[in-house]
Amino acid sequence: MLNEQEITCIVCPVGCKILVRTSKNHIELLDGNKCKKGIEYARNEALDPRRMLTSTIFVKNGEWPLVSVKSSQPVPKDKIFLVLKEIKKISVNAPVKSGYKIINNVANTNINIITTKSIRKLKKRDKSIN
Amino acid sequence: MNNIEADVVVVGGGPAGLAAAVSAKENGADQVLILDRNSWLGGILPQCIHDGFGVEETGKSMTGPEYADKYIELAEQKNIIIMNETMVLKLNKNKEITAVNKKGLYKIKSKAIILAMGCREKTRWNAMIPGNRPSGIFTAGVAQSLINLYNIMPGKNVVVVGSGDVGLIMARRLKFEGAHVLGVVEVLPYSSGLPRNIVQCLDDYNIPLFLNHTITCIEGKERVEQITICQLDKNLNPIVNTQKKIKCDTLLLSLGLIPENELSKNADIQIDELTGGPIVDQNFQTSKGGIFACGNCLQVYDNVDLLSKDAKRVGKYSVKKTIQSKKFIIVKPGKGIRNIVPQRIGKTENVHFTCRVEKPYETPTLHVISGNKQILKKKLKWANPANMIEFNLDISEDIVRFNDSIEVLLDVK
Amino acid sequence: MKNFHVAIIGSGVVGSSIAWELSKYKINVAVFEMGSDVTCGATKANSGVIHSGINSPNNSLKAKFCIDGNKMFQSLSNKMNFPLKWVGKFVIAKNQDEIKKLERLKKIGEKNKVTGLEILEKSEVSQKEPNIKCTAALWVPKAGITLPYLFNIALAENAAINNVIFFLETEVKDIKKGKNNFLINTNKGKFQSKIVVNASGINCRKIVSMLEDPDFQVYPCRGEYLVLDKNCNSLVNSMIYQIPNDEIGVLGIHITPTIEGNILLGPSAEFINDFYDKRNTKEMMNNLLTQAKELLPILPPNSIINAYSGIRCKLSPPELGGWADYRIEESKNTPGLINLLGIESPGLTAAPAIAKEILKIISKKIKLINKPHFKIHKIQNKRFSEMSAKEQSKLIDKNPRWGRIICRCENITEAEVINALSNPLGAKTLSAVKYRCRAGMGRCQGGFCTQHVVRIMEEFFKIEVKDIKLKSPKSNVFYGRTREMIDE
Repeated sequence: MLNEQEITCIVCPVGCKILVRTSKNHIELLDGNKCKKGIEYARNEALDPRRMLTSTIFVKNGEWPLVSVKSSQPVPKDKIFLVLKEIKKISVNAPVKSGYKIINNVANTNINIITTKSIRKLKKRDKSIN
Repeated sequence: MNNIEADVVVVGGGPAGLAAAVSAKENGADQVLILDRNSWLGGILPQCIHDGFGVEETGKSMTGPEYADKYIELAEQKNIIIMNETMVLKLNKNKEITAVNKKGLYKIKSKAIILAMGCREKTRWNAMIPGNRPSGIFTAGVAQSLINLYNIMPGKNVVVVGSGDVGLIMARRLKFEGAHVLGVVEVLPYSSGLPRNIVQCLDDYNIPLFLNHTITCIEGKERVEQITICQLDKNLNPIVNTQKKIKCDTLLLSLGLIPENELSKNADIQIDELTGGPIVDQNFQTSKGGIFACGNCLQVYDNVDLLSKDAKRVGKYSVKKTIQSKKFIIVKPGKGIRNIVPQRIGKTENVHFTCRVEKPYETPTLHVISGNKQILKKKLKWANPANMIEFNLDISEDIVRFNDSIEVLLDVK
Repeated sequence: MKNFHVAIIGSGVVGSSIAWELSKYKINVAVFEMGSDVTCGATKANSGVIHSGINSPNNSLKAKFCIDGNKMFQSLSNKMNFPLKWVGKFVIAKNQDEIKKLERLKKIGEKNKVTGLEILEKSEVSQKEPNIKCTAALWVPKAGITLPYLFNIALAENAAINNVIFFLETEVKDIKKGKNNFLINTNKGKFQSKIVVNASGINCRKIVSMLEDPDFQVYPCRGEYLVLDKNCNSLVNSMIYQIPNDEIGVLGIHITPTIEGNILLGPSAEFINDFYDKRNTKEMMNNLLTQAKELLPILPPNSIINAYSGIRCKLSPPELGGWADYRIEESKNTPGLINLLGIESPGLTAAPAIAKEILKIISKKIKLINKPHFKIHKIQNKRFSEMSAKEQSKLIDKNPRWGRIICRCENITEAEVINALSNPLGAKTLSAVKYRCRAGMGRCQGGFCTQHVVRIMEEFFKIEVKDIKLKSPKSNVFYGRTREMIDE
């Protein structure tokens, strides 16, 4: 099954349009790059496109209601919304430290979700209006 | 009124202010004080939850909050005094700062002041977008803070105006949070965002990009109901009968950034109309001795790495002996160059410049001329306004002896 | 309470002026306002000018109420503390022909008993207004500026603390004449009142038609404005007006300084079909800028920070000249219905005098006994940003919320926002905050303060984010939460 796609290289601002033809998991044709970096990028993009994912998770009793998180590695493109769904389901209790593994092996991807911020516990604040 | 005396006071605790303050300490300043109007440090970074920060600087791609934390930890380690939720009310002509917070008013005197106030977003009216004035119109940065910090969803059916990086990042963010992103509208025939963001924010999610289009009307009785876009010709004039109505409930405006310099203006610091920030010399010193500027309030930077690099230099200069010159060589932006920093040179030495071009060019050549002598020629593979150009130039006695200005320009064959 | 002596429909400057006058007496007064706050219609969308009376034809009601109202403003301002400045006005002649028009205008003014009018030569004008281009000008010292929305709020809040009940977000759906009173049906329930005062502005005909066949038409005429950055405020000292255009009976472009230091350009004048089409148009925005640059050549570029528009309630169509006098009268067919029709410029100036007139009419129908404990509420003390360092420090000592600045452009404090949201009318929109304490009116247009105002609304007033509105009942600002509290 031949699959052809035009991939815009993102390694530098030139943004070469690279034509890639794949068959099963094989690159049959790769053309249009102006430098070597484009080859590696286009190959990965055609055979196994992945993206770094960042999002937020609900925090209970924190100074802020959300903690920002990232995937420990780039996530396969076709699993992005599945991973996001899992992220939206959970919450965490303050305090939370940055770099904490909040979800292990999210959606069976072998990728973890890690906090990128520290959130302190909410102190009792004076909310009276005087 | 509380009186404070310091060696270096930094107005703004975002990435520029933090880097400058840390550097000032590292270069020997004793009392270094950061004033920030928010309850947090890091400025805009805590809401920039996406990655891509610090690649040049550290080799690692960090998220905004992680990048900020790196500098915040350094600032704390080095005993920099931090005053949060503190607003600078005034910087007067005698370099005195009046600031206020819940504990009271402060009069702050310092040997050096570093301005790092950052920038604000262009509003709908800066672009004079016609139509009703309903709810549901947000600038991209505000929408970003609502979604990422405050757990608030601005709307459900969104159109983004402006295809710079901020607009693109927000298009993806909204999509991730369950909104329908109906399109990104861009006046120019190209997006000013990084190709990476066009692919990973628009192409990945089939979000249409309307290049060469402008928004001609916002409609909605109380909340946004629909917008009208229209195609433009190459002179940016609307093409008749190309109107397209898009039903939506939210409009995100990513129209550009304006360096925040009201404090600077009120202190009679000279402003460069082209950058929107103070005129500075190669030490980032403004027209007022002892007052320096860095970060987005000096000029809008593309990425935080270069911004931090420059801010660190400012921190150093704020402590070391700076140029006391009365005579300056003026740096003029010539053909093809929109703006350039520094705008003046006060000493003969190797100077690092940053500049922006006016429009995209393929294989342009950058020239610097002094009188009728060419003092630099640099061939570039490409140039576009969204990517700042850096270059170094040896300003020698020869150059300054007979001329009071140099010109930077582009040559396109 | 469901039964009233007087029900006022509309809480703009006219309705609120009447409410305030009536609040001095021992009667039950209700004000029905379909918007989420007072001052939602033309009252917040004009130039904020206290007119001298030179623009209205002799012997008209417009002239009479303008001149009477003008005289009442200073003492009202002293009482209630809303801002007022007698900056004066220059009516500009660009050429010799226009100087004749100036002379005519001066005569009308003098006949209307307006004092201090003087025609000045170019050099004399330049001394006071060095940036204005002109051949000659008519100097009108008795013209002033105020913040019309603050004046409206002052009147309404004063009426409210004297027991007038303001029903916000309450739209009158229909009115029936009962034996001794009116049965008023609204979206928030049914009410009864002996007298109905129709101060509903652009909706005045709609209200009349609930009870009788109206003998008039309303011709909506939109006026657009541009607001300039405070950095422009030294460009002019007084109001600068073009010679009025006789044909359509509107004043022509003005350059009007505001109390707070901005400059207003406008209004335009455009007859429209849709009564509620308050949009800003590209044509008018460009037109206003071009006209302004003719009068003020050194106007810097990129000075526009905001734009708005209002709809004039005109009783005469463009074909007939667009000018009609006020109609302020009890309906002949429906006794007890008091109509205020066609209250366009100089409506703001005329409002206090019109209210006295309505009071007269009502006093003939209901016995008015003075309240012994009539309260005066000063709506505005100095802004934090206007106070001396000593005053500021003292306030912060007493209440630290005066030390936290949440609006960077205008230096507005948390305490001021809380005070604004604590208003006696119960108005809790973002605009309610904006009009009372100015947060959101700066050059960044809410870019910094919105997040903080929203947090204050949530924390102190327990408003849910999805219920936060911009200015009107259905102008919700947010969709909801990105993450809800997850119950285990």
